Amino acid sequence: MSNIKNTLVGYVTYQGREGQYTFLLHRITGLGTLLFLTVHILDTATVYFAPQLYSKAIALYRNPIFMLGEIALVFCLTFHGVNGLRIAVFDLFKPAWWGPKDAPRSMRITLWIAILLWIPPALVMGYNLIHYALGWI
Amino acid sequence: MADSITRRVKIRRNYETLAWKWMRYSGILLIPLAWGHMVIQDVLVGVHQINIDYVALRWSFLGWRVYDFLLLAFTFAHGMNGLRQVIFDFLNTRMSRTVISWIFFFCWAIITLIGAAAIIGGVKIPAK
Repeated sequence: MSNIKNTLVGYVTYQGREGQYTFLLHRITGLGTLLFLTVHILDTATVYFAPQLYSKAIALYRNPIFMLGEIALVFCLTFHGVNGLRIAVFDLFKPAWWGPKDAPRSMRITLWIAILLWIPPALVMGYNLIHYALGWI
Repeated sequence: MADSITRRVKIRRNYETLAWKWMRYSGILLIPLAWGHMVIQDVLVGVHQINIDYVALRWSFLGWRVYDFLLLAFTFAHGMNGLRQVIFDFLNTRMSRTVISWIFFFCWAIITLIGAAAIIGGVKIPAK
């Protein structure tokens, strides 16, 4: 069990600034997406295995709490994608960009790109949440 | 630095180097695949327009079934390998890492088979 504690303490206390925050955010967004993905594969599979259950699964996703979760999920996928693409490009094609000046800068730019890409879908989904799930407008 | 030295290192090919490459190449492919799916279903269509008839309509096009099949194959294998790499941070013995790898492999295989069976089998509209 000390492994688990040591690793978690390391995650929190390591003073890696941009690199550390990006590492943690990449893992959290990846794990969050995987959790949803697993549920989503199984709920979609009901259309074949137990079709009468599919509408129940969809009813759950239309719940306001789940729709907030959906907005968070889109952020997870957007950030994980932008940052993952950055990692892939650096590792495969531009290893020199991992330098101590370029890399932290690229991570800050990554976060901004992810936030900017996320805002339009978040507004649309926010409208859907208010309109359909809450019925306010 | 201007006077940096370029060093060529031979890396032995094993499962982990393959997994490293897999995460990067599948990740690049997932940008259009997963983002496309997300933009269409979550943003343009929205969960309030989605029901079993919508899935049946979508899967009446072979192209969308192939798309969903690729999505299933690439996202879940990418995600499960990512989970394996995260868990490796918490397991320090070779034995525990081997055991967890096999457990994740079976979880991945079973859930992928369930998803694949649904895509191939198609929608069974329930009698109303």
